[in-house]
Formats: sequence, C-alpha cells, structure tokens
Amino acid sequence: MKIPGLRYSVVVRDRDGKVLSCENQRSRSMLGNWYRILYAHMASTSTSLVRTDGIDRGVINFGDNWKFVAAADEDYMGIVIGTGIAAVTIDDYKLDSQIMHGTGSGQMRHLASTPGWPSVAGSSCDFLTSRTFLNNSGGLITVRESGIYCRVKGTTYYGYACIVRDVLATPQDVPDGGSVTIDYTLRITA
Amino acid sequence: MTEEQDKRTERAAIEALSSEARLSYKVEVTDKDGRVVQDEEGPSHSYVRQWNEILHLQAAAIYIGGGGTVKMTDGSTEGNAYYSVRSFASNAGIGVDRSGLRIGKDSTPVSINDYALGAPIAQGTGLDQLEHQLTYFTAPSVVGSTLSFTMQRSFVNHSGATISGIREIGNYVEFTGSMLGRVALGFRDVLGSSFSIPDGGAITVTYTLKVTA
Repeated sequence: MKIPGLRYSVVVRDRDGKVLSCENQRSRSMLGNWYRILYAHMASTSTSLVRTDGIDRGVINFGDNWKFVAAADEDYMGIVIGTGIAAVTIDDYKLDSQIMHGTGSGQMRHLASTPGWPSVAGSSCDFLTSRTFLNNSGGLITVRESGIYCRVKGTTYYGYACIVRDVLATPQDVPDGGSVTIDYTLRITA
Repeated sequence: MTEEQDKRTERAAIEALSSEARLSYKVEVTDKDGRVVQDEEGPSHSYVRQWNEILHLQAAAIYIGGGGTVKMTDGSTEGNAYYSVRSFASNAGIGVDRSGLRIGKDSTPVSINDYALGAPIAQGTGLDQLEHQLTYFTAPSVVGSTLSFTMQRSFVNHSGATISGIREIGNYVEFTGSMLGRVALGFRDVLGSSFSIPDGGAITVTYTLKVTA
C-alpha cells in the first residue's frame, strides 16, 4: 500500500539480555497533534493544540517543533511508555498513565532517545527512533501503552505535545532488572 | 480494469484502514465561465524521501553544521540543512512558482528519490505557462475520530491557447540550509488521465491531509 505508515516494535529483555517477548504492530496512531504541528509549519501560521499538561496554549511554526530527541532521564520528551489501556482517540494529549523516570515503585529509567537518519531501501524511506527503558524498581512492571512526546512552541510558551499514542496489542511484563525497547518507524513508500 | 477503476479500488482499500495517515488529492479544471470540464480524485502516490529527511531535521534537532542533507528541487544537495521555522512551509504567494503546490507534464511514475516534478509548468502568461495563485490552507478540523486539513492552489491559463498534457502534481516545501528558503519536493503524484486547461480557464489542485485514530 503506497501510503505513509507508522509502525512500532516492542522488545522485552531480562537482566541477562535474553529476549522474553516482542511485538511488531502498525501504530494506532499518529494523533491530531502531529497534524496540527504540520499544519502550523506548512501554512506558516498558528493553531490550537492541547499540551501534555492539558492546557491549550496553541502551536506556532517554530524551529523547535517536533523535537523528540531526548536525553537520558527525560520523561517529558521522546518515546514514552505507560500502563494505561484507554482506547486511543484523535485528541489524546498525553498517555493514559505514564511510567515516570526513576527507580521507585512503578518507575523505569529512561535512556536517551535519538532519531536515526532516514534510510532508503528499494522504494521506501524509513525514519526510525528508538528508546530503551530499564526496570530497576525492584518489582515487575507491565507496560501497556507507548507514545511520543515532542517539543512545541505556542505564541508565548514552550511546552510538550503528545503526537503518537498506542495501546500495545499485548501487555508487556518487564521483570526487575530487565528492559523494554520501543522502536517507532515512519515509512513512506513511493 | 481501467486506471480509474484501479484508483477506486485502491481508495476503498485505504479508506478501510481504521488507523492511518492519509494523503489524497482532487484536481478540477474549469473553463473561462467557471464550468467544471474535467476532474479527478485519488489517493496520493506519495510522500518522497525529502519529507522524512526534513522531519528528521526537526525531530533530531539537527543544528547548523550537523550534517543535515536534503536534495533540492534544482537537483543540487544542501549539506547543511537544519531545523527551522521554515521546515515544510508551503504557503506560496501569488506568482510564486518556487514553492507550494505545482503542476507539470511528466508522467514518469513516482519514485522515492524524486526531487522535483519531471516537467513543471512555470509561472507566467507565455506559451505553456500558468498564473500561480496563492497556496492556501483550511485549518485542521476534527470530525469523529478523524482530523484533516486541506491545501489548495489554482493555476489560471492566460497563455492564449489551451495547455494540454498536464499529468503530474506535487508540493514543493521549504526548509533551511546554508540560507533561508531552500526548497524540496515533499510529495508528488502522477494523474490517472491527461488534463487540458482551456485558455481563460483554470486548474485547481486540492490535497487533503488526514489522520484517523
């Protein structure tokens, strides 16, 4: 099918690096916020956009928009994960129940997230971004949702927007000492 | 199966996907009295590599000197592309044919490596030239579980003769490199049939960008 497609994969490993489970699915989905930012850039204008804090501060075309490269520990930008199972809606503005960075109960360490350079193979061009989360909480954590938070700017304030959200087809149990890696690939095919 | 039937089948298949980003187009030719004389709708074929490359500039926050590489519509390569307020800008003004929606005469199938229309029509009133109107947008709107917005541009034929053989449409988007206002091909489509624009008439291209959760 010659349309752009967003896919995700999930790989869970134990403390020895052994793969315990994996999942590879078509994303559901890019959210309305992705297209609101796109509109602001294409039309060189501004439009409404509800940020991850639940407040509509809008988005204006600006250099930092879409930035989702994230440093280690940053749980407000880049690929994010959660435990929520609420069905995805077009106006979702955050994960249902985000797993925050840390080593406390229900928390996971967020490693750096760096989008790779787009690569062309055959008639497709793939754009991959990946992030690994470590479970050093002392207990098992079940991951049920994932998404992408990016930086946005409104007319006055910087902030963050949820532009992708998925409820995993299979809840993924990450044991203490283990990890989960989420990949998102945006593929366009001519 | 005819080419039009192929397009209808493909459109139905795309509509059947419950959760996907979609791009579709509509082309309409009107005569000098405003009567529609030819039209076509279809799914886009498709975004090209520069789209993902510019998105990467933004997502990875590629700064000046960061090695961002994007091929431009003139065939040369910008090797110092970086994230900017101008990424994807397509709101070309009246008479501007370096960016925004474009049309052309080439029917070569779309390739992921396309960097320009094959034979773009230039701005003007001379032979085989068209007057490029504003590329403008409708704001995003949500209906049910779908968000969409459209971009549209009309091209008016004041060349004194019919312009025939229109076979391709596409969008030239801006980005920033060693200087502002670099332009790259964002998406391109080859039409199912050849379009002719009578003298005094116009052709209007509308793209709809849509995502369904």
